[in-house]
Amino acid sequence: MFGIDDPGIWLPYLLAFICLFFSAWWGISRWNKDDKSDAFVKTEEEFNTDDE
Amino acid sequence: MDTFYLGLIVILYLLSISFLGYLGYKKTTSAKDYLIGGGNMNPIVMALSYGATFISASAIVGFGGAAAAYGMGLQWLCLLNMFMGVIVAFIIFGRPTRRLGVQFNATTFPQLLGRRYHSKTIQVLTGFVIFLCMPLYAAVVLKGGAVFIEQMFSIDFNVALLVFTLIIAAYVIAGGMKGVMYTDAMQATIMFVCMLFLLFSLYSTLGMGFTEANIALGNMGDLVPEKFRELGHEGWTSMPRTGSSQWYSLVTSLILGVGIGCLAQPQLAVRFMTVESTRQLNRGVFIGCLFLIVTVGAIYHAGALSNIFFYQTEGKVATEVVQDIDKIIPYFIDKSMPSWFSALFMLCILSASMSTMSALFHTMGAAVGADVYVPLTNKKRNSTKVIRLCVLVSIIVSYIICYVLPMNIIARGTSIFMGVCASTFLPAYFCALYWRKVTRRAAISSMWSGLLVSLFVLGFMHKAEAAPLGICKALFGKEVLVDVYPYYVIDPILYALPVSVIVIVVVTLFSRKK
Repeated sequence: MFGIDDPGIWLPYLLAFICLFFSAWWGISRWNKDDKSDAFVKTEEEFNTDDE
Repeated sequence: MDTFYLGLIVILYLLSISFLGYLGYKKTTSAKDYLIGGGNMNPIVMALSYGATFISASAIVGFGGAAAAYGMGLQWLCLLNMFMGVIVAFIIFGRPTRRLGVQFNATTFPQLLGRRYHSKTIQVLTGFVIFLCMPLYAAVVLKGGAVFIEQMFSIDFNVALLVFTLIIAAYVIAGGMKGVMYTDAMQATIMFVCMLFLLFSLYSTLGMGFTEANIALGNMGDLVPEKFRELGHEGWTSMPRTGSSQWYSLVTSLILGVGIGCLAQPQLAVRFMTVESTRQLNRGVFIGCLFLIVTVGAIYHAGALSNIFFYQTEGKVATEVVQDIDKIIPYFIDKSMPSWFSALFMLCILSASMSTMSALFHTMGAAVGADVYVPLTNKKRNSTKVIRLCVLVSIIVSYIICYVLPMNIIARGTSIFMGVCASTFLPAYFCALYWRKVTRRAAISSMWSGLLVSLFVLGFMHKAEAAPLGICKALFGKEVLVDVYPYYVIDPILYALPVSVIVIVVVTLFSRKK
């Protein structure tokens, strides 16, 4: 593939382009979406603080 | 291009940097502005700043040179940079980091960890580790920029280094995070355009297309220098022989060390706290990935293909033409590209260096000024004056270290820093975001164990650092404690990170039972 025989070399090229397409899809599909958890900020008591 | 036009371009560039630094200065009215840009930066500026901070001159000059030596196997690093450095970093780490930052009113990475674990110890320890380890990386990046200026302008290295440092110091100290991010965004744009041009003009110079050039490079396998062949090099379009020392160096140090190490870099993590909401992080994912595939992907690809150019013009491969791997890319650009592009490319390297340097200086200054000084002196609030002073100190320290760095250090220095960061911070950082039951004691133990194991392996196990350091030789009479292959070529991150992960899990389970 791409004039390169070793899959150890052409694979990262291929995967890099897949990452690029994924990131485009992720960004566009969530362009105006906030996380639900953004509205819900946990209180500090939910974290473990009991060991000192 | 004559000196007049070259000078003009540099002056325009410096004026733009000065203006943006001034803009940052004018808009900085509080410590929060100085540390996280007020927490309301534009997502495009944030993503470009993240990318420009991530990609330093060492990624271009050092790893580009490493690609010329090792070949296209380095594209795994590009992939990991994109996948771990942007997709995982933004989606898995960035979103909860931003949320916790808001929740705990944290303005630095050490504050985030310290307040999450309710521990001054963690905040101060994180600040100390940053201030102790980051100057090495900063010095490496400084060297990368200064080497390029030395090569391009044919001026003394010392002058190049001094001027370069002074310019960055001016806008970081004055402009704080806003100044840093505004200039980063401009520098990222310059880097993006230059790399895109480099990629296309390289093929024009070689007189080949993408596939044709790859085949030509593949056919040059017999020309691999003997010293590299002995280490496992099997050609520039093949991975090194599995299990060979070059394979370990490529896979464990360059790919894993940097690829995983990028997740726990304080200067990157703090950028997630500079935006207002998660949607802005989502928008940044694509910009970050696009930036990386063009900048990093192009230079690694061009680095490997430089062997064809050198063979066509000088009858030798890159490492035979230029002995110092760190100087291959500057020399290659100088010889293969039109002179006007060499000047533009110089701006690209300057931009890459300056954007990373500014972030490092800012992070180191904040680490001492806000995360060590404030808790240790029991002050109630961060002082912008103190942080600015600490930024200045960190710049001076990095500048001095730059003079004692050996040759071929750029790529290695980067992976050392990222490896130490990952081993020390990553488990505690990840658990802070995702494991509510993790205990403070476990986080402290994990950080200490990751740091100490890293330092131990660097000093006594990993030959690339242990031999020049000489501590093991002085104490035990041999360069490394275990001189059985492959233990002395395995990167410290492969020992230290699993240890710190195991420690945080075991100590949490044990202390909770208790």
